[in-house]
Amino acid sequence: MPPAGIWIDGLVQSCIYMTMAFGMVLVFSILGILNWAHGQFYMLGGFVVYYAVTAAGIPFPLSLLISGVIVGGLGMVVEKVIIERLTGPGYGLLAVTAATMALIFFFEGAAGMAFGLMAKGMATVLPGVLDMSSFSISYQKIAVIAFTLIIMVAMYIVLNRTKIGKAIRATAQQPDAASLYGVSVGRVSLIVMGIGCALAAMAGGIMGPVQSVDPFMGRIPMIMSLLAIVIGGLGSLTGAIAGGIILGLLNSVIAYKISYFSEVVLFVMVIAILLIRPQGLFGTGAK
Amino acid sequence: MIIGEHYFANRNLIPKVVIGALVVLLAAFPLITTDVVTLSTLISSGIWAIAAMGFTLVLRTGQFSMGQAAFMAIGGYVSAILTVRLGIPYWPSFLAAGVISGLIALMIGLIVLRAGGISFSIITIAFGEIVRIVALNWGSVTKGATGIVTRAPAPITIGNFEINFAAGVVPYYYFMFFLVIVSGLFFWQIDRTRIGGTFRSVAANPILAEHLGVHLMWYRVIAFTVAGVFTGLAGAYYVTFLGVMNPLIFDLWKSVQIMMMTIVGGWSSIVGGPIIGAAVLYSLGNYLSRLPIPNIQYLVFGAVVVLVLLFLPKGTGLVDLWGKFWRKVFREVEEYELPGESSQEDE
Repeated sequence: MPPAGIWIDGLVQSCIYMTMAFGMVLVFSILGILNWAHGQFYMLGGFVVYYAVTAAGIPFPLSLLISGVIVGGLGMVVEKVIIERLTGPGYGLLAVTAATMALIFFFEGAAGMAFGLMAKGMATVLPGVLDMSSFSISYQKIAVIAFTLIIMVAMYIVLNRTKIGKAIRATAQQPDAASLYGVSVGRVSLIVMGIGCALAAMAGGIMGPVQSVDPFMGRIPMIMSLLAIVIGGLGSLTGAIAGGIILGLLNSVIAYKISYFSEVVLFVMVIAILLIRPQGLFGTGAK
Repeated sequence: MIIGEHYFANRNLIPKVVIGALVVLLAAFPLITTDVVTLSTLISSGIWAIAAMGFTLVLRTGQFSMGQAAFMAIGGYVSAILTVRLGIPYWPSFLAAGVISGLIALMIGLIVLRAGGISFSIITIAFGEIVRIVALNWGSVTKGATGIVTRAPAPITIGNFEINFAAGVVPYYYFMFFLVIVSGLFFWQIDRTRIGGTFRSVAANPILAEHLGVHLMWYRVIAFTVAGVFTGLAGAYYVTFLGVMNPLIFDLWKSVQIMMMTIVGGWSSIVGGPIIGAAVLYSLGNYLSRLPIPNIQYLVFGAVVVLVLLFLPKGTGLVDLWGKFWRKVFREVEEYELPGESSQEDE
């Protein structure tokens, strides 16, 4: 049995993968596309928080919100300028997939040019360690877990108790019918893209103190949350959360046992799941 | 207007003659200049063009493979390990690289292409990372991050004419030329015969295709495997040309570059698009990498692809400008339909 620290690290990773996968699936359920550059919004969020905290001296929780707003706005711009124009009738998934793939590198290149390639640490945010007798956990990691719980509860409330949440759920179920009942599908897409990117940005910001911020920090979370989506089932929010938890914990525990081949084991596991259930654990089938 | 009529009668011939002249020019290129930088750029562009053709073939079936560079890596490692570590001559191991890469593509395809779509893209992107991680950490076989230093193929002697690969880049250039011609003809034949039509029907309307008796998965797997073979060959040759194989040569960025070459060149043409895209993007990347600005290549490539998608949409990349140019020359007004856009195409 691995020590408690490994499980906690796994839980922290799960939280991030969960938040990322949740945003991606939310976008997927409305727009019908995967935003491949989701990990880069995570990275940009990390940078916004870093500069807000170190350069502008804004308190950490507030700068998280700021990063959510700024990067969420950027996501909306991307939706309006690129994605909307490439998803009309006659376009397949190809154009928009290629465009968001290209955005991965556009954002990485832009961040590398603007902020430099060096990893930037912000370990000074939330210092200190909570010492339980058998194990210890840093406040930064507690913050990640608490943040994810807050986000999940907030998203639950937004999706189930508010009017816009109802519109989002209706559009995900049946866009044509929703638009007949007065829901503007275009606006819902815009809002959902904003929410998804804001979630990714805040996840990047909250992970900033735990790891460090650099232009390529988004790649591993992106791939992992994509795999989480595959495990959980494309289009299922529950599946995204469950997949995130499974992947994060397993990644940490397997890495403890056999060091660097953990990704390979995870990959084989994902393939095995696809063999047994091509629609994923929580998927309902074709989508 | 006799001249005009003559001119118009030959309107399909003239572009072909121009292309033929370009091919002859490229074939005679080492006679014009033996500048190593120019020839190296052309060789690399040609090799990437082959990989991009493979990507385009997979794209024809409506699948988006994001791990094509992984097959180049597999091909590269197979040929490097067979020649350097096991002492097998180059050409058998070159072919073995294609075969093994194709077999791996077949295995992955059989598992993942049942679902297809976005799952396939995710699995291939993860596969690319896995190949890199395994290559980086399986030091006893791949020598990890240090990489394997490859050897030039042994000289080939035909009569009293000797092709010596160790001497310079010209033999590499000609073999690249041969490789591009062979794979270009192969992909062109696939695309214009019945199987290419089936590929397009699989992409355009999977449900209809399935009801007409097309086994969707098999055709996707065929395309993916053929692409795997050629991409593996391209990788094996590229590594020999570079002289070293390490895990950093073929990473996610290279997979995406292969995609970008296809997009920028235009995927409406399976041979022309990838070749133009590879030549343009590789030369551009070569130029940008000499600038003292870090990461500018990522930025520019990303921007170029997004702009091409927005302004030359639906697979009409740069290759379509060629057709547009000739239509402008002949003042033709022609409504045309792109391959892949029409729902059914009969051969």
